[in-house]
Amino acid sequence: MNYQKNENKFNTKDLVTIGIFTALFFVFQLIGAFPLMMNPATMFFMPFGIALLCGPIILLLLAQVAKRGSLIIVGIVNSIIWFVTGMHWGMVIGYTLMGIIADFVAGIKDYKSIKLNILAYALFCLGPTGSFVVYFIDPSGWATTMLHNGTSMEIIKGLNEIAASWILPVILIGTLLIATISGIIGKKLLKKQFEKVGMIQ
Amino acid sequence: MLTIENLSFRYKGREANNLKNINLDIQEGEFVLLCGRSGCGKTTIIRFINGLIPQFYKGKVEGKVLLDKQDIFEIPMYELSKRIGSVFQNPRTQFFNVDVDSEIAFGIENQGLPRKQLEQRVQTTINDLQLEKLSGMNLHDLSGGEKQKIAFASTYAMDSEIYLLDEPSSNLDNESIESLHDYLQILKNKKKTVIIAEHRLHYLLDLADKIVYIEDGTIQNIYTSELLTALPLLQREKMGLRALDLQTIKIKNQKPAQQNDPVLAIESLSLFYKKHCILKDISFKASYGEIIGIVGCNGVGKSTFSKALCGLHKKSSGKIFYHGEKMTRQQCMKISYLVMQDVNYELFAESVYQECCLGIKNPNKKMIEETLTLLDLMQYKDVHPHILSGGQKQRVAVAVSMICQKELLIFDEPTSGLDYDSMIQVSHLFKKLSSLNKLIFVVSHDYEFLCQCCHRIIHFDDSQLVHDFFIDNHSKELFKKILKIGGSYNE
Amino acid sequence: MKKDLKQSYGLDPRTKICLLFLCVFAALVAPSLKYEFCLVVMICLLGIYQRVTRYALISFLIYFLIYKTTAILVQINGNFQVALIAFLGLIHKVYPCGILSGIMISTTRVTEFITAMYKLHIPQKVVIPLAVMLRYLPTIKEDMGYIKDAMYLRDVSPSFLGFFKNPLFTAECIYVPLMMRALQTANELTVASITRGIENPVKRTSYIQLGFHIRDIFIVICFIVLTCLCFI
Repeated sequence: MNYQKNENKFNTKDLVTIGIFTALFFVFQLIGAFPLMMNPATMFFMPFGIALLCGPIILLLLAQVAKRGSLIIVGIVNSIIWFVTGMHWGMVIGYTLMGIIADFVAGIKDYKSIKLNILAYALFCLGPTGSFVVYFIDPSGWATTMLHNGTSMEIIKGLNEIAASWILPVILIGTLLIATISGIIGKKLLKKQFEKVGMIQ
Repeated sequence: MLTIENLSFRYKGREANNLKNINLDIQEGEFVLLCGRSGCGKTTIIRFINGLIPQFYKGKVEGKVLLDKQDIFEIPMYELSKRIGSVFQNPRTQFFNVDVDSEIAFGIENQGLPRKQLEQRVQTTINDLQLEKLSGMNLHDLSGGEKQKIAFASTYAMDSEIYLLDEPSSNLDNESIESLHDYLQILKNKKKTVIIAEHRLHYLLDLADKIVYIEDGTIQNIYTSELLTALPLLQREKMGLRALDLQTIKIKNQKPAQQNDPVLAIESLSLFYKKHCILKDISFKASYGEIIGIVGCNGVGKSTFSKALCGLHKKSSGKIFYHGEKMTRQQCMKISYLVMQDVNYELFAESVYQECCLGIKNPNKKMIEETLTLLDLMQYKDVHPHILSGGQKQRVAVAVSMICQKELLIFDEPTSGLDYDSMIQVSHLFKKLSSLNKLIFVVSHDYEFLCQCCHRIIHFDDSQLVHDFFIDNHSKELFKKILKIGGSYNE
Repeated sequence: MKKDLKQSYGLDPRTKICLLFLCVFAALVAPSLKYEFCLVVMICLLGIYQRVTRYALISFLIYFLIYKTTAILVQINGNFQVALIAFLGLIHKVYPCGILSGIMISTTRVTEFITAMYKLHIPQKVVIPLAVMLRYLPTIKEDMGYIKDAMYLRDVSPSFLGFFKNPLFTAECIYVPLMMRALQTANELTVASITRGIENPVKRTSYIQLGFHIRDIFIVICFIVLTCLCFI
C-alpha cells in the first residue's frame, strides 16, 4: 500500500504503461523511419519520419504517467533496443541524452503543461539525429583514416563541404518542426477523445 | 478462514454503492461460486480478497475483510499473492513473458524461491495439468484456451491456499471449459479453497459447495447445487442466471416464416494461409432473414471464413455470388460488416453520433437518429463509445452497419462474458435484424444462445464444411454432439 | 515448436552484448577499410558457428560488393561520387554491428535476454518496461491487423494514400483504437502481475539458467585481440 502514498515513485502500473507505450513508440518509429532509410537520398531525413508519427503516443504517455523519469526510461529502453540491433552509437547515446533533457523540460511544470510536453517531445525526437550529428562533425575524417592511399584531395574536400553545408541544420530544425506538428495533432487527439473517456488524470 | 464483515464499497467517481453490507464466511477447502447479473458486485468481492481493492482500485470502503482473523487491508499485495492466486477473464492480457515455461515460473520467481524448487514446481505443474505439449512454446502462438491454461498454471505453480477466478470461462469454447473443470477438480481434490465468479454455471454444479447469488450489491441467497437446480427455470431466468444444464435447453428459435430465395451463394471457396489450405471447397446458399451459426473447434478456420465473407481475406479461390452476380473482394467489403469479438477495434469517433457519421459523405441525420432509437442508443448519442458497456458497444457497431446499409452481418462470439439478460438482448437484436431482411452469420460456441436465435448451423471440421442443417428437435442431438456438450460433469 | 535452451554452441547473452560493445568500438577506431573487412569476416565466421550460415554468407557477399564499390568510387571524382561516398561511409560504420546484431537476435530468446538484463543488475525500472515492451510488440501487430480490417469495412483507406488525402482522420482511426486498447491492456497486465507478486522486494530468482562456458571466453578473447589490432 505504501507506493500509493509516494506520488513521485514509479509503481508497477506506471512501469507497465511505459513499457507498452514504448512498444507503440518503437513500432511507429519503424513505420516512419523505414521507408526513408531504404532510399539513399532520404536516408539522412529519417528522424522526420519518427518525429511525424510518434507525437500522440508520447503525449498520452506523459498524461498517464506524469512522474519524473518516464521519458528517461523510454530513452534508455530505446537505446538498449537500438544498440542490440546494431544501430550507430550516436543514435543510441542520443536517445538516452535527449530522454534526460526532454524529461527535465516536461518536468518544469510537473508534466501538466501541454506546451512544454510538446516541446519535450520535439527535443526527444532529436535523439535519433545523434548518428548524423556525430557523422557530420567530421565527414572526411572517415575517408582520411580509412582510405589513405588512393583518396584524392577532391573527395576529402567534397566531404568536408558537406559538413559546412545545409544538411545538418535542416535535419535538426526540420525534426523539431515536424515533431511540433505531430505534438499538436497529439494534443488535439487527446482533447477530442481521451479526455472524454477520463483517461487523462 | 475468510470472513467478510459488513462490507460496503463505492468505486471512486461512481455515485452508487457497488457493495452494500456484505457478510460472508468462507471455510478452508470450500468451493464457492459467486453468481448474479453483470455489475452485481461479484467481481468486486473477488478484488477485495486478492487485495486489488483498495490497493489498486480506489474507492470508499466500509467494513472489514479478515483472512485468518488478520485484516486484509494491512497486508501488502505481494504477501497476499503467496496465499491467494488469481486467474482473470481475458487470456490475452494476463501473460507477462513471451514463452510458456517462464510464464509458469513467473509467480514463484517473484517469491525468490531457490532454483531447484523453481524447476520442481514448474515440472509438477506441467505434469499435473498435462501441459507437456505446450512446454517450450511461444505464448503468442497459443489459442485462447491454451493461454488461459497457462494463466491457471502460473497460479497453480505458486501453490496458493486460496484460488480466485473471475469469469475464467468467458472466452473459452466447450472443450476448454471441460479442461477448466478438470483443473478445478484437481484443486478440489487437493482441498484448496476456490472462489469463482461466473455466468456460466453449468460446468460448476458438481464442484460448488456454496452458490452465492448476488443482486445489486447484496447477497440475496446462498444455495447448494441441489437447491439451485430445484428452482423453477423461469425463476432462475428472472434472476439473470444462465442455464444450469445444457442438455435440457429448449430450442427457442423460429424458422423464418417465409423461405426466401437464396441471395448469397458460395461456390467451391477455398481459403489459404501461409501455404496451408485452411478450408477446402466450401459451398452453400443463404437467404435474407436467416440467422446462421458457424461452429467448429478452435483453429478450424471460422474467423478466416468470416473475414473471407467480408472480402478481407486475400488468399482464396472459388466464387462468391450475391444476387447472382460474382463479387470481388471490394464489393464484398461494401455489403458486409464484421462485428468483432472485441468491438473496441471498430470504434473510432468521439461520440456515438459521430461514429455513425464516420466515413459518410452526407450523413442523413434523420436516418441516424431513427437507427439509434431502434437500437435503444438514443440516450447515448453524445457519449464516447469507449465508455459504454460491451453490449452497448456491440449495438453501436450494429447501428453503424445499418447506417452504412450493409446487408450481410457477421458476428464473432457476441455473447462471450454476457449474463443471461444481455444474451437474450443480443438474441432479440438478431431477430430484429432478421426481420429487417439482413443476412446474419454468428460464429459462436454458446449453445444456449444458438438455440435461442439461430435458424441454421454450418459446421466446419477438418478443413471442410461437414454439416449444414436447420436447428429443430430432430437435429438437436447432432448439434449437441458437434458442440461437445455433455462432458463428464454432466453425468 | 520447441527450441532447445541449452545448445552445445550457444553463447550467454551477456557474452553477445560484450561482443557488440567490442564491435562498436572496433568500427569506431578502425584504422583502414581492410581492417573492417577482416572484422566482417570474423563476424560471419561467428555466424556460421552459431548455425545461421545462410545469413552469414549472404551478409558477407553484400559487404564484399559494398567494399569493392567503395574501392572503385575512391578513384573517381565528381559531386555525385562524393555524395555516394558519404552515404557509404555511414554504411561502413554500421554494417559490422548490423550483421552481428542480426546473429544475436536470431539466436537469443527474449526470455534469455531479459534474464541477462536482470543478471547485469540493470534496475527494475528499466527491465520491467523493456520486458513488457518486447512482450507487447507482437500484440501491436495483431491489433493493427484488426484495425485495418475494420477500416476497410468502413470504407476508410488505411494506407499511406489515405493518410495524405485526409491525415487527421486517418490518424484518428489508427491511433485511437490502438491507444485505447493499450491503456486497457496496461491495466489488465498490471493486475495480473501484482497478483502474482511482482512487487515483492525479495530478490527475484530465475528459472532460466544462464552460464558462461569455455566457448564464451574463447570468442571474447578472439574479439578483444582483433580490437587491439586497431592500435598496432
